[in-house]
Amino acid sequence: MTNLNWMKQALEYLAGEQDEAPAGFGVTLANWWFWALWWGAMLFLIYAFSGQSSKFIYIDF
Amino acid sequence: MKVSRVQLLLALMGVLGLLTGLNKAVAVATRNSIPRRLMARVPAATDASVLALGNSLVAVGIVEPAFDQGIGSRQNRGILNLALGASSPIEQLLLLRYALHSGLHPATVIYGFYDFQLTHPVELATGDMIGNHAMLYYVEPEYARGFYHLSWHDRIEFEIMRHFPLFTDQQAVWARVEQFRRRISQQGMPEEKTNALGRANDFELLEFPSTPAFIRECGHASRRDLIPPVSEIVRQASEAGSKVVFIEMPMPPAHVASFYDTPAWQRYRGHLKTLLGNKQVTYIDASHWMPDESMFLDPLHMTYEASLRFSQRLGESLREDSQRR
Repeated sequence: MTNLNWMKQALEYLAGEQDEAPAGFGVTLANWWFWALWWGAMLFLIYAFSGQSSKFIYIDF
Repeated sequence: MKVSRVQLLLALMGVLGLLTGLNKAVAVATRNSIPRRLMARVPAATDASVLALGNSLVAVGIVEPAFDQGIGSRQNRGILNLALGASSPIEQLLLLRYALHSGLHPATVIYGFYDFQLTHPVELATGDMIGNHAMLYYVEPEYARGFYHLSWHDRIEFEIMRHFPLFTDQQAVWARVEQFRRRISQQGMPEEKTNALGRANDFELLEFPSTPAFIRECGHASRRDLIPPVSEIVRQASEAGSKVVFIEMPMPPAHVASFYDTPAWQRYRGHLKTLLGNKQVTYIDASHWMPDESMFLDPLHMTYEASLRFSQRLGESLREDSQRR
């Protein structure tokens, strides 16, 4: 398996598209604390980058 | 591989724990947010004889020591500037109420405004309640809700979100991301003009696009009454025994020439004077007080030097006015 293909599968596994991790990927679905941390981090990123709806961005005052 | 129900539940609880921690972190990070800092000034300033309210034009434009010098007030009996940047008359009313409930008995309440602030209805959605508007979530939220309309969807969202700093003060996190994004977007680009308030060009977005559009709006606005939060500011300040003074704030010469020197604005100003005069409010037209473009940081705000001059002159003007009475 090429590195690129492995990365693609690993990302698909992390995003929930595949149930099986590629060979050598150390995290199983049973590892609940990793998945809590992972989805918590994803939620934080969505939270931090969303929310601005107005055209005028008034952040410095 | 199958995931057991217990493992799924544990993962969900872990995510919930992280969100709870984030909620707490945002609450701690925003305990000194601008509206809270402003309100925290009130208990130490209950002897102030003048209270200033308004948006960033007043926040930047009224420099307390210069005003006190102009009006000749004794130490600790001067002005308290409670103006809040990027605020609507609703937040300004909430700040007045907070000050009065905290024991402030100002002899004079000054309210600075520009353009159609006094007659343009406040329209808000929960998506707009960011930055300083966030105080609508935590300062008398039920009372404030009487002054703006929310769709039923936004109403539900509001009721849920107001209990979580994670949502109400989201901008504390978002602003840092935005500042980082701006720093990156500046790489290799000509430097943008900024000042203490933000990007100078951003304030052009608050300007009317053209003189004809402004004149049209003058026509509409000249048929409107004062919006309810402004009327309430006048009523509650008057009932507290304060003399109420409305100031048409100084604007840059280009703004004055394009908008305020038109007959349509003169008519609108006359309309405002009538509405306010009926409520025994003193009207000061200071729009032409700063006749030089160099006295402004951006299309709206005065420089610090101009603010010093304006504040002193305003103080002197109020002193002369009180001596005449």
